[in-house]
Formats: sequence, structure tokens, C-alpha cells
Amino acid sequence: MLRLLLSTALAAGFATGLAAQELTVGAANVSSYLDPGRDHSNVGSQFYYNTFDTLIDKTHDTLGAEWQPALATEWHLVEPKVMELKLREGVLFQNGEPMTADDVVFSLNRMYQATFPPYVVRSRDRLDNFEKAEKVDDLTVRITVKREEPLWETLLNLQQVMIIPEEYTKGLTGDPKVAEDDDFEAFSLAPVGTGPYRVAEFVPGERLVWERFDGFWGDKAPLAKVTVQQIPETASRVTALKTGEADIITNIAPDQLGLIESDPKLTAVGSATPLFHVMIMNVNHPKLRDPRIRQAMSLAIDRDTLNEALWFGKAVVPDSHTYKEFGELYMPELKTFEYNPEKARALLKEAGYDGFEITYDTHPTYYTNGMLAAQAITEMWKEVGINGRVNIVEKWSGGSPEMMARNWSNPMYFADPFGSFGVMWAPHGPSEGEGRFNTDEAYAKVWERFRYSKDAEARKAAYAELQERIKQDPPFLVLYRPYESWAMNKSVTWAPKPGHIPYVLDFRAGSISLASN
Amino acid sequence: MLSYTLRTLTRMALTFFVIITIVFFATRLSGNAVDFVVGEGITSEDRALLIKYYELDQPLFTQYLAFLKSFTDGQFGLSFIERRPVSQIVVERLWPSAQLLLSAMGLTLLVSLPLGIAAALWRKSWIGSAVMVVAFLGYAVPNFVMAIVMVLVFSYWLNWLPVVGNGTPWHFIMPTIAMAGVLIAALTRFTRNAMLDVLGQDFMRTARAKGLPESRVILKHGLRNAGITILSVIGLQVAGLAAAGSVVIESIFAWPGIGDLLVSSALRRDYPVLQFGVVTVALAVIVINAAVDLAYAWADPRLRHSVTA
Repeated sequence: MLRLLLSTALAAGFATGLAAQELTVGAANVSSYLDPGRDHSNVGSQFYYNTFDTLIDKTHDTLGAEWQPALATEWHLVEPKVMELKLREGVLFQNGEPMTADDVVFSLNRMYQATFPPYVVRSRDRLDNFEKAEKVDDLTVRITVKREEPLWETLLNLQQVMIIPEEYTKGLTGDPKVAEDDDFEAFSLAPVGTGPYRVAEFVPGERLVWERFDGFWGDKAPLAKVTVQQIPETASRVTALKTGEADIITNIAPDQLGLIESDPKLTAVGSATPLFHVMIMNVNHPKLRDPRIRQAMSLAIDRDTLNEALWFGKAVVPDSHTYKEFGELYMPELKTFEYNPEKARALLKEAGYDGFEITYDTHPTYYTNGMLAAQAITEMWKEVGINGRVNIVEKWSGGSPEMMARNWSNPMYFADPFGSFGVMWAPHGPSEGEGRFNTDEAYAKVWERFRYSKDAEARKAAYAELQERIKQDPPFLVLYRPYESWAMNKSVTWAPKPGHIPYVLDFRAGSISLASN
Repeated sequence: MLSYTLRTLTRMALTFFVIITIVFFATRLSGNAVDFVVGEGITSEDRALLIKYYELDQPLFTQYLAFLKSFTDGQFGLSFIERRPVSQIVVERLWPSAQLLLSAMGLTLLVSLPLGIAAALWRKSWIGSAVMVVAFLGYAVPNFVMAIVMVLVFSYWLNWLPVVGNGTPWHFIMPTIAMAGVLIAALTRFTRNAMLDVLGQDFMRTARAKGLPESRVILKHGLRNAGITILSVIGLQVAGLAAAGSVVIESIFAWPGIGDLLVSSALRRDYPVLQFGVVTVALAVIVINAAVDLAYAWADPRLRHSVTA
């Protein structure tokens, strides 16, 4: 009787309403703020595509991009450094205001001419070449770059240049005619875009509720309401899926997939995420200045064994810093990394390695399997004679001169080598800025060719040269593309699409469906 | 009574000052917020820009003075991560925590007082022994173990109870039991012992001799006198529960309370939220203790008179 009572209450009380086209997502993390401009975190990436649009969209069902009109319906270069875009008519923001050229210019220039510090940082690492956006008429804008840009569409498809309403944002705090820092801070707690779902409720770090936006310019959202609830504990997430409190849950570690697969009502989908777990090595550490030591540290690591042991063979181990998603710039032929313990031993001998301790820093939990990988790596080092030690650190140590080696990730921020290697390992970029990587004039010259050549073959040749530099004087080793899984009730049909950046929860039309029951 | 109240209030104020000072420096011992707030892998130029923006470039003592000042002007600063007033963030979380605490307290009183009295009255029979064995076991099982076992049995296997959040009354069942478990065990034992102490007292015999019914003897004369001991135990236990229990239980059940907030802000090194959250919990503990002190004086006329004398 008790069971009957409880089951009835459950059905009425907290089971989610699939029939009503509602969905609950149990997420490991919900962002503390929602502003696509300032954010490039893996947590934030989950959410923006449902609420915001870019001027230019792309197909997401396949690898490699096919550009699609979005808020801009057509675009062409009017001068080598000026692109003109025609805007879609009749687009509404989720607060009911129509989208105009002013909104587009405001959204772009908040990044291109950033003054709000969190925008400045994102702008400098990927939008540095963009000078300004200007209104031509109510439905036409022009964008000017500093140097001829080979990646126009790619860089107009970025999350950072999604379109937001000018008047609404400026009016959030202070003077309604001026964009102040506080306006952008307030916007990130009450975001408004032009996408198919409006943010109906947002409790930072806890819950996000989307509702279908009926005024959306494209195909209407398939779901009436989506609640994303943060459930940090993996066991609680899996339990919530089993009890029906959640319809989809995120971030299932490979060793927990068995729990899902053993339940006939549930299913799991996964993919090798376009993100590399890497080991970084401090080229400026006094004991690691000799590249042969770092080459040996890299050659000693059997990444295939790591994949088998930690990821059940589901991760992807690449030979270079290259992703399939790069399309014609994907270069599997590059052999930047290999496993060769014999060569590692010989190099250590040649370099006169005297057995000094090499520490490998890792956060205890931040990267899935990060700690286990660190332990395995130091054991593999031992095999070739390197005296390694795992050093557990709570905070980021990549900027510390004492750091010798540690784990890090290099996400693919957008589908181009510039969107991953290019952001992290650029001259004066973050790695050099933190003092653990050096570039010189020669590197900068090759980098310029890689970044700005208009011919794909020239870019590929330059990229190969950069990877050769990395091989000879290694500041990092790509470990693998980790395997990420989502689990869901079988009544939900959803899977991550290969054309997205990592972790996007795409619930737009054609991307998700619920079985009617 | 007035002087007793004043003394209690002064002690509260002093305790509060010591706590906020410790909180300020202790949070900073756990790591530099810059690395968490600013993030990894950015150029030193950008890093400097963000450090300045988040006002993390101030010397520690200047930050401490600003922190103290924030208590006088009622501006408790902005969260590093969410950039909104910390008071707003913490206040949002207070009510869910209070609800959980109150329901755990209610359950505790409802269960442990009758059990404790029963165990005292029938101390020599199997009832008394059974109650004490259960109480002993309850005391020995940590609340997080109880929570996880309940989740496993009632949610994972049986699918009866929800595990996430505080949406419906059903959501209260497991967290309330998990929080109340240790408290019930403790309070049952204390109630039993306190009742045993008073059962043999002269005034109990007098009450019976007056011809009062047994229930009235036990509840009015027995429990009222045992109540003084019980009250002090409740004060201590509730304070402990508010501070420590909620942190663990709220994390397990994704309960949107202050314990969950403390854990997440500690992990993100969001000092302003962490500080204000800890201070709020400390304040709650101080207030609960002070309330118990005053209730104690009210319940025990001897104390009241000895202080004013």
C-alpha cells in the first residue's frame, strides 16, 4: 500500500512531464553567469546555443562547417578588409524588442572594442584582428578588420559574438544611454537573446529554466520547457535519472556507464569530446631547459595504454595537435607525438639526467581521470628511469616558475587550428604569458603564415612547421581526447552533434525529440 | 534578568568579532582567489587586468579593513563569481536551510522525547534496552552514511523518493531523517538520563502522594525538571547541526541551502560569499545558543535568581 501511495505521489509530484514536452536535465555544473561574450568555459558552452544566435550559423550534423544564414542572410567582402552583412528582417529579442543593426553593432563592438575587462580578455585571444562594426542602414552592417582575414565566417560564428539587445543591456543599471561594466554584469544574470528558448529563470550555480520563445524567427523550439538542475554528485545524478527526476544527465565517467547500460529504461550516448587533455612541461624550469629531458618525458608515456586502462579504449589518441573537426585543415599525417621508451632512455643518458625529481601537478578531481593518469604517467616515467612524483595541487599552477609538469586541457574553441592550438600556443599567448613556453621571431613568422594565409595549403604547411618546433622543443604532449557521456531516459532522443564545440546541449528543432507517452 | 541578558549580548558581540576575524584570514589560507576567479591559461597582461577589476590587488590588511567596514555600512561586497551582493546570495539560501533544520528539529523532538521517557520508565524491561540499543546505533552511524544508504534503498532500488532539491514535501523525507538521525539518538539518551535523575526525587513522590494522575506527574513535574538538561543538549546539538550537518546533507541532496552554498563557494574560492555565509551560520549558532541560555534561565528559576543576586 505504501509503495502504491508513494508511486502515485511520485507520478504526480516530481516525475517530469514528458507528455507536456518538458524536460529536466541533471547537470554536473550550472554556470554562475550566462553571458556568451565573456565566457569560454566548458560549463557555459552547454547553454548558449539555445538562447542566442550568431550572425552566421553552421550545420552541426557533420564534421566540417557548412555556413548557414542566421541573423545575417547574406554577406560579402566590399573591400579586402571590410565585410558587409545583410540582416534578417523581423527578428525579435526574447523581451519582445525587434533586433536592429544598432543591436548588432553594439554586440560586436562590445567585443571588438572591449572595455569591460572580461570581454577584453576574450577579445584579445581570438578577435584581435577585428577593428569595428558599423551600421550602414537599419538592415546592413559592415565589419572592418585590421589585416585581411581568412577566417571570416569562423570568427563570426563564435559564441563570443552572439547578438544581444543594446537598449535592454544599457538600461540594466546606471545611465540607460551608456554601456557600463555593471550593465554587463547584470546582463549575465538576466540574459536575453534571439534564440528559440528564453531564460525564464536563472539561479546561478543551481538552476536554469528555459521556455519556448514563440517569437523565434526560425523553426520553433520542440520543447515547451527545459529545467537544468545542478546535481554535482555523480551518484545523485544517476539516481535522479533512475527515479525520473531527470530525463537527461551530463558528465558520466566511463566507469559508471555500466550502471546506465544495465537498466532497460535508460540509454547513454557519448563521443570523444573536441578537447585535448594535455601534459604541459615548463621549458623555463632550470632543470628542464634541455629539450632532450622533455622529449624523454613525452616519449616515455604510452598513451594507448592510458586510453585502454582509463577510458576503456573510448578516448582518441592523436599523433599531433589536430582535430577531425578542422575539415581540410585536419592533418593526421603529422607525427608530433610517439611512444618510444628506448629513445627516451637514450635521450636521458645523452642529456646527463642525474635522477633529479620531476613533479607532475594535478588537481585531485578537476579533470576526469586526471589523478589516475598522473599516477600512471609517473610510473611510466619510472620505467625509463625518470624519478617522477605526483604533486596534488588545488589551484592552477601553470603560471608558477616552480611548476615542472602538470595536466591541462586545450579545448577546441572553434573548428580551426587557430581555435585550439592557436589560442593556447600563440606568440605572447597564454602559455608564453605564463612563462612556461618561449617563442622567437622565427616562430612568430611561421605563426603569422599559419594565422593569416588565405590559402589552406599554405596554412597547413605553416602548421606542420609549428608542430615540428613543438616536437623538437616540447612544451606539451597531447594525451588524448577524453570520452564524454550523457545518459537519458529511452523516451528521449538526443545526442551531441559533431559540428558543435564541446558540451553544447543543443535542444533546437531537429536536435531533440521526446516519445509521446 | 536584565544584567544576565546584557552579559549574554556582550559575549555574543565579542564572539562575533573573533569569528569574523578568523573567517577572514582562514579563508585566505586555503589558496589564492586569483587563480580561481581569473582562470587558467591567460596572458600576464590580461591577468593583471582581471585582478584589478576584481579588486584582488589590494593588500591583505586593506581587504580586512574593507571587510570590517562592510559590517558597519551593511554593504557586504560582491561575489567574485556572480558579481551581485553576497547578502542577496546568502539570504536566498537561508530559508531552505531553515526549513530543513526546523523539520529535522521537529522530527527529533517528536521521536526522542517519548522514546527517552519510555526508556526511563521501563528501563528494566526489554523496551528500555531496545530503545537504548537503537539510540546507540543511531549515534554511531554518521549522517552522510545514513543519507547515502537511504538514497540507495529508497531512490535507487525502490524508486520511492526523490533525491534532488526541495521541490515537494517528498523531497524533505530523506534529508530530514539523515539530519535528525544523530540528534534523535543523542536526545533520546539525554532525555532518558535526565528523566532517571528526576524520577527518584522527593518532589515526584510528593506529586504522586498528592494523588495526581501518573501522566501529569511525569509530564508536568518530571519532564519540566528534566527539561533543563534537555534544553542545553538541544542548544549544542542544533548549533552543530546547523553548521556541520547541513554542509554534508545539503551537498548530497542538492538542497539549495546555505551548506551547499558554503561548499560551492569554498571550491570556487568565492571569498566574499564564503565569508558572509560562514558569518551568517556563526551568527545563527550564536543566536541559537543565546536563545537557549535565556530559555535556560527562564526554565530554571535558581539560575535567574543567582545571577541577579
